[in-house]
Amino acid sequence: MSYMIGVDVGGTFTDFSVFNQETGELFHYKDSSTPADPSQAIVKGIQDVLKIKQASPEEVTYLAHGTTVGTNALIEKKGVRLGLITTKGFKDLMEIGTQRRPSLYNLRAQKPYPLIPSGLNRTVTERIRYDGSIETPLDEEETRQVVRELKEQGVDAIAVCTLFSFMNPIHELRIEEIIREEFPGAYVTLSSKLAPEFREYSRMSTTVMNSYLGPVMEQYVNHFRTSIEEIGIRVEPYVTQSNGSIISIKETIDCPIKTALSGPSAGVIAAAFIGKQCDADKIITFDMGGTSADISLIENYTPQVSNEREVEGYPARIPMINIITIGAGGGSIARIDDGGALKVGPKSAGASPGPACYMRGGEEPCVTDANIVLGKLNQKKILGGRMDVDIELARRAIQERICDHSGLDLKRAANGIITVVNSNMVRAIRSVSVEKGYDVREFSLMAFGGAGPLHACEVAQELGMREVLIPPHPGTLCSLGLLLADTKFDLSRTKVMRGAPENLEAINEQFAQMVEQGTALLDKEGVPAERRSFTFFVDMRYQRQNFEISIPVASGTLTPETLDRALASFHAEHKRSYGYCKEEAEVQFVSYRVSTVGIIDKPNLLPVPLQPEAAPPQAIEVRQVLFQGQEDYVETPVYQRESFVPGQSIPGPCICEQMDTTLVVPGGWTIYVDGYHNLKIHNDEVI
Amino acid sequence: MVRKIDTVTVEVVRNLLMSIAEETYGIIVRSAYSTNMKERRDVCTAVIDPDGNSVAQVESLAALLGSMLSVVPNIYEKFGRENVKPGDMFIANDPYHGGGNHLPDVVIAAPAFAGDKLVGWIANIAHHSDIGGKVPGSTSGDADSIFQEGLRIPVIRIREGGQLLDSVMDLLLDNTRVPQEREGDLTAQMSANLIGVQRIQEAYARYGDVLIGCMDELVTYSERRVRAVVSTLPDGEYCYTDYVDGCGDKYPDPLPIQVKVTIAGDDLTVDFTGTASQIKAPINVPYPCTKAAVFFSVKALMGDDIPANEGINRAIRIIAPKGCIVNPTEPSPIGAQIDCQQRIPDAIFGALASVFPDRVVTAGNGACTTTILAGDGAIGTDSVFIFHEVIAGGSGASLRYDGLSGVQVNMTNTSNMPIEATEMEFTKILARRYELMEDTGGPGELRGGLGIQRELEVLQDDVLYTGLGDRHRFHPWGLAGGKEGASGAFYRVSAADGSIAKMGHKTTSLPLRKGDVIRVITPGAGGYGSPKRRPAEKVLQDVMEKKVSIQAAREEYGVVIRSDGGHLEIDWPATQELR
Repeated sequence: MSYMIGVDVGGTFTDFSVFNQETGELFHYKDSSTPADPSQAIVKGIQDVLKIKQASPEEVTYLAHGTTVGTNALIEKKGVRLGLITTKGFKDLMEIGTQRRPSLYNLRAQKPYPLIPSGLNRTVTERIRYDGSIETPLDEEETRQVVRELKEQGVDAIAVCTLFSFMNPIHELRIEEIIREEFPGAYVTLSSKLAPEFREYSRMSTTVMNSYLGPVMEQYVNHFRTSIEEIGIRVEPYVTQSNGSIISIKETIDCPIKTALSGPSAGVIAAAFIGKQCDADKIITFDMGGTSADISLIENYTPQVSNEREVEGYPARIPMINIITIGAGGGSIARIDDGGALKVGPKSAGASPGPACYMRGGEEPCVTDANIVLGKLNQKKILGGRMDVDIELARRAIQERICDHSGLDLKRAANGIITVVNSNMVRAIRSVSVEKGYDVREFSLMAFGGAGPLHACEVAQELGMREVLIPPHPGTLCSLGLLLADTKFDLSRTKVMRGAPENLEAINEQFAQMVEQGTALLDKEGVPAERRSFTFFVDMRYQRQNFEISIPVASGTLTPETLDRALASFHAEHKRSYGYCKEEAEVQFVSYRVSTVGIIDKPNLLPVPLQPEAAPPQAIEVRQVLFQGQEDYVETPVYQRESFVPGQSIPGPCICEQMDTTLVVPGGWTIYVDGYHNLKIHNDEVI
Repeated sequence: MVRKIDTVTVEVVRNLLMSIAEETYGIIVRSAYSTNMKERRDVCTAVIDPDGNSVAQVESLAALLGSMLSVVPNIYEKFGRENVKPGDMFIANDPYHGGGNHLPDVVIAAPAFAGDKLVGWIANIAHHSDIGGKVPGSTSGDADSIFQEGLRIPVIRIREGGQLLDSVMDLLLDNTRVPQEREGDLTAQMSANLIGVQRIQEAYARYGDVLIGCMDELVTYSERRVRAVVSTLPDGEYCYTDYVDGCGDKYPDPLPIQVKVTIAGDDLTVDFTGTASQIKAPINVPYPCTKAAVFFSVKALMGDDIPANEGINRAIRIIAPKGCIVNPTEPSPIGAQIDCQQRIPDAIFGALASVFPDRVVTAGNGACTTTILAGDGAIGTDSVFIFHEVIAGGSGASLRYDGLSGVQVNMTNTSNMPIEATEMEFTKILARRYELMEDTGGPGELRGGLGIQRELEVLQDDVLYTGLGDRHRFHPWGLAGGKEGASGAFYRVSAADGSIAKMGHKTTSLPLRKGDVIRVITPGAGGYGSPKRRPAEKVLQDVMEKKVSIQAAREEYGVVIRSDGGHLEIDWPATQELR
């Protein structure tokens, strides 16, 4: 037998998705995480899985894992001591940032935590101009001295980011050589290699974060590799990056920042895969857990990628799946503020004390408490029966903290909490869809995570969406995604020129260089030639604008015809995004991007036969449930997910419980179970 | 107070309206042409209710609030509400006739109709790099009337019946030095409004008149929030006078900004009686800007999460005698009003320091230090370039925190121009230095934030330099024994002989030669509490970060730091002696 294993390490649980390539069986497993050394839980879990499957370690042919080691080191400020080398005259770029204060009105808001220790932001005499010409040559003796001083200061890593190095990296490369000579043990990141694009602050902060994480990640992945070798696994493990793809251990060590936002990205990859099973090419993903909700948009089965995002207050200029995270989850706390408004989140009760109903001393009403009072969640036991809850405590918290301060009665208060938290979700979904020029009503909402399916139909209703999709195991979508990822390197270059036929040669030269670079990277990853694919993009703008739109182009060898087509796509995309375009205006090409993909084998899941005539599922109980927009509780059947048979339709209103989540289906919606056990829930009455 | 709409729906609609305001803001920032909008984000957008009350506005910067609060009432007053039709769009920039701030800030507002029912407005305002007038960039340091400051646009239509009024556009473009850039920016502003109108119509289709009821409730809610805080404050009169440096050679004397804040029950009055009279120099603050400054100060102190809308204004009474510098009469010049407007929050914070000991911050850089460089050189189809930037400084210290270094304060919060973006677009400018300036933060137990030093070299002859700033004379004050921060300064380093000349805080259209360097130092901020109480380890850290010099550590903080071959350490016995 041969097994593919995907492992997603979360704060509480480590999830495993295991696919048997010969039988086609997909299996999920879950165990507690070991935050001090995440690899412990992985190793133990793999051993458990192999035992259950009576398989030997050699039969594991693929192993990928998503790690939060980088993310956590940034959040907990546990990176290494590092120094920065930049251009003389510009030592404080990291502290000044954009010069905007963090909050317009909150006079006490602070800047992000400084990653570079006091005085280790150093400068060297050198200057490159905007066109790549050398204005002042690098002072090599001074550089040598600076490196020696940083070494004496006990740094483990050095970040190098000089002005216009993206146009001409010669000084950064020379600085690296000098570091190698003077301080061979240092971990070094060059901005011109990591993120060769303009805007010095975001390039520098990406470089600094990468060096800050480098040695931490190096230690972790090396330890991880040794641990799995010790239990007899023979394959090289992969690590997920924030663009939803997987990379080798070697690449992870070089570019740890690429993993920093990888947490939710694998789930989006899996969502795109499930979308394909469901023939849904336009999807909004909605992953809601205990403290937050992650939202993204998928079009043509392809997640949207953005090229910059903030991490812990610093811009990170790396390609990543565009996911919006908001502080709205089951543990989000509801309150009435001084002006009498009902607010929910972003403060969360977390797992401890947790919502009032958890009986762990929490007194503040949470979203989960409201769902229990409304009858949407099981009023005695949740998490598939593993956890007891007390509805009286939930009622009391809402009564004391909401009703007594607002004049709302208990059921209006509970329903209001859901309305408000849903409206936060609606706002986030609008920001990835409507605000980007997409008509959200054409999209399906795919809900996962512990709380996504609880809210999905009512959120969809509010947005005028007609279809909600629920995968078979909404709690393990991230580990499934790890079985579905490819190896991918997103390369980029910046060179501003007119998007016109006379520049075709120069444009194609940019692409050719990156194809060469990408080929070398895939060589290193051992991807065979027939499994490589390259896709090409140009970031364009009208001359004088500063924000570009990334437009896919046909190939890396543009012709006058394909150039015209690319320009036409730009005008159309500009109109969609901003409501207008100027077809007569000059278009500038700014950055060139190549996605270099190495295609990895994926599970081939087959549908089971449909049995529309099978006996309808039996309700395990009938519960009083109060839905959004309703005045009164209605009798609602509660089913177990296991009892649904592919090919069946089940009308709402109903509740469907399973181990990792609860699905709430209001009246007017109908569930259809497809051959992959996905639930497609439709409402044709939504306007 | 009786509420018409339930609290839950109001929250849902608030989210929706903020989403609309933010979407239109994003469109302008991402598609505009001029660096003011695309990089510095000198833009604000708002949803306004059918009666003209601003309901939801993005929290980009506070200086532009004035227009948002007044534009629709001005349209109604001039045209009559009944004459506003679907497909209309209005434009204005003249605060004496329907605009809000100074002439470069152009506001454009569009009504949203459902059928023939007016259901709301979307408006935006953005800083244009040039709107004509006596100097490139329009804002001079020496205008003596508004007629020198650019094209005045009273509130007029720019679109009618869904069509652009070409003759209005032609007039505008004929009155700017950079017409291609203007056209791109105005298009971005109008396109954002078209999307905004559509979104408000969609919202009305979803919620009907409940939408309008919610807008009303949101305004009432903000008023309620402010009054709830005011009612907890001790009744009384709280006074403070701060000073603006003056304005150029004609007005060398300090100009007092005097405030008396009166708290009585849940009523709040801010009285500017005693403030300097208007002057014939461009720092007069038009009344809408004064309102915006009071609005900012009240929201920052009373609750930063109170929704920014007309309700905050309703909770405040402002007394500003006509003809004083914060309520000037036509045709007083107003181009550099922000340098004076910045002093209003300083004065209000000074007055209320005893009332909000844990919220008030010391005086920050309190200016809007501006550099404008203009010269020949084509960008696109425009034949001249106009580079405009605002450089941040220190922000105030407070009971618990040091001030922040190199940030915008009070009314402005625009981004810097990335150096690489600047030089790629303005190839005749070369940045030589952009760093924090040592010893500019006011000494204190909590140290004031540091100012910035920025040096720009010009690479061709005949570039005109305009430098506008304040707090070059009156340093940012400290509190509770904290000392004042350093002042700002402008210098020109001559390429010809290397001489360094200090320039005034309102330097206008000074011709530069190739190789000349403009050196701008922005003010720091005042300290909080006695510097002798600052932990010595923190002072050592300040020295390591080059925020405080070894000399100042000894003289101001009483901390003796020894440097041993680059290694810094505290000399404890010597320190104990000094402390």
